[in-house]
Amino acid sequence: MTEFSNYKIAVSAIGPLILLAIVIAFLMGPATNFLEFGIVLPDIHIEQIDFVDGEIQVIVRNTGPIDVNITVADVNDRIQPAAIEPDNHLTKFETALVRIPYDWNEGQPYSIGLTTDDGTRFEKFVDAASLRLEVNTELIGFLGLIGFLIGIVPIMIGLLWFSFIQKLGSSKYRFFLAFTVGLLLFLAFDAIEEASEISQSHLSDIFNGQLLIMTVTILSFLILFSIGNSLIKKSQFSKISKPLAISLMIAVGIGFHNFGEGLAVGAAIALGQVALSTFLIIGFAIHNTTEGFAIAAPMARTKAMVLRLICLGLIAGSPAIFGTWIGGFSYSPFTTVIFLSIGAGAIFQVVVSIIQYIREESENTISSASIISGIGLGLVVMYLTSIFV
Amino acid sequence: MILLIVASISTLYFVIPAVSDAAEEPKTFLTHTGLAIQTTGDIIDPIGYTGEILEFDPESYLRDFDYGAVSELEDGTILREFTITARDDQVMEVSPGVFYNVWTFNGTVPGPTIRATEGDLVRVHFSNEGSKSHTMHFHGIHKAEMDGVFENVGPGGKFIYEFYAEPVGLHLYHCHVHPVEEHIAHGLYGAYIVDPKEGRVQADELVFILNGLDTDFDGENNFYGANTVPFYYQHHPVEISTNELIRAYVVNILEFDPVNNFHLHGTLFHHYPAGTDTVPAGFNDMLTMSQGEREILEFEYKYPGLYMFHAHNTEFSEKGWVGSFLVKDSEKNYSDET
Repeated sequence: MTEFSNYKIAVSAIGPLILLAIVIAFLMGPATNFLEFGIVLPDIHIEQIDFVDGEIQVIVRNTGPIDVNITVADVNDRIQPAAIEPDNHLTKFETALVRIPYDWNEGQPYSIGLTTDDGTRFEKFVDAASLRLEVNTELIGFLGLIGFLIGIVPIMIGLLWFSFIQKLGSSKYRFFLAFTVGLLLFLAFDAIEEASEISQSHLSDIFNGQLLIMTVTILSFLILFSIGNSLIKKSQFSKISKPLAISLMIAVGIGFHNFGEGLAVGAAIALGQVALSTFLIIGFAIHNTTEGFAIAAPMARTKAMVLRLICLGLIAGSPAIFGTWIGGFSYSPFTTVIFLSIGAGAIFQVVVSIIQYIREESENTISSASIISGIGLGLVVMYLTSIFV
Repeated sequence: MILLIVASISTLYFVIPAVSDAAEEPKTFLTHTGLAIQTTGDIIDPIGYTGEILEFDPESYLRDFDYGAVSELEDGTILREFTITARDDQVMEVSPGVFYNVWTFNGTVPGPTIRATEGDLVRVHFSNEGSKSHTMHFHGIHKAEMDGVFENVGPGGKFIYEFYAEPVGLHLYHCHVHPVEEHIAHGLYGAYIVDPKEGRVQADELVFILNGLDTDFDGENNFYGANTVPFYYQHHPVEISTNELIRAYVVNILEFDPVNNFHLHGTLFHHYPAGTDTVPAGFNDMLTMSQGEREILEFEYKYPGLYMFHAHNTEFSEKGWVGSFLVKDSEKNYSDET
């Protein structure tokens, strides 16, 4: 009896899938010609342009519905002989490396064009050519220092507010918790905005950048939400206090965010898109100091434990270092978008945790003036400091 | 954790380029500056054009003149009859691997060079085998109804153009159906030469139709050339001899760009605007022409060797309008020395 019903369940689950497969097989097989109407246009996407010694290297992907041949390469709309590896025929989704021998000039803008077999030219602009970074200890050190300056230093400084928050009365404390919520909300939207910018300028349309960001952000939120909940539940039975659990979650969320940010900064250096000026570093430092504050705030009701704070600071800040390394040496816009989205989801989860915490602290109300003004001020402070970045 | 795994796997998938099955022995190619580059992949280089796949041969087009079927009328006038067919369905490999829908007179871009002598009766049996209306509009002196502008010849239609060849000079013909820019840009044009009755001085005669190809229809030419195929004469230099008069019939039919020009290395030419006068307009190595303008150039080379000719608008030359003369020592020169 049970076997029979299991069988029935299996059939009812798989049945529609089998029917769908039959429909697809029909459309791809006998009905192919029947459905062929309209004009099919080739589409390629130049994903990456690297400048190496005496050569410009281009990674191109076939993002169109049909196979294409790459037939002509040009630099600034002037035809150049070039090589394409492994071959000039690109099936759907396939990538190829185009090597254009060219005596390029440092810091000069270039447009790189590729023409397909139907004569359509596709191009991509580079704002300023700069030599592709090669892995060496000096550069590892340099990128690591940048990551350290934008990630760890400001967060550690921000954590120093710990003793200040500790001395606050409960209403003021709630204000600063709410302030943290404002900071974090801004950070999450900041990450989504940056991810969409990158997906628009670097990712091919075929990846559906906006939907990818939404999917990853929500998934990240859901997964971390369940992890966070169980962590907070466990904290009731173990030595880990609830505020610590929340701070830990905040640190992890900010860590993801900083990893994505590090990828973007490393890539910007590698691609020569920006001169990473002292000004920009200062901007990041000011902006990210608030992240330290966000980690410190929930913990302020526990005993000050320097080591714990340092650990949380490292969890939140050190991913920036790894980010700049990976971004600098092998930039992938896709990875950056993924990690920025994970970061956004993680931060939304943290926002929910803090709001729950505030609610418990303030007898189930989150509409008091101190909380509303705290969130508002947090957003404003983040907006103002973001102008520097 | 799951997120991390998913992220890293998807990253690997998208970062590492798909591996294809080609990777044979390395090939070598030369850059513009003469560097030898090796690759395991394919070479995309319009300069290295072999021309094997082409139906159109720029080599033979240079010296190919269509004098028509000649007969004599009762009054002694020479009648030259030409048969020209227009089509608009051909796809031509205009540059290695680049396929473009060309519209043609007698199957080629440019169309045949029609040549007659002053006073001849020219009769062109035109038939349109295309899917759009086409005409033949000749520059020169003729009756209004022979102008090929208002008498559109529809698909499957025929028309006979008849006029006396005048005046002496280098003219051109092209389709004049609206939008004219489109009909010209696709290739419906050719040269029309009227020789003087007494003939011209013996020379090695060459035809250069300066044109361009807007293969992606954005109103800008993707390729430029002399006789259509970009970089062709760069890779297959035009062979001529020292101390021999060269007469080049140069027609500018370029669309989208208002001017084109012709620059000759290693010598200077006398040039005759539209070839209508016997007195040269100048002695120069630069010639600038607007759309539809044409000039006869006469020059000689003193020294043998490889000499470039190209648009001095270097954008055009770097997109294909560049070629070379391979000047060989003439026998006459040898006999002088010995």
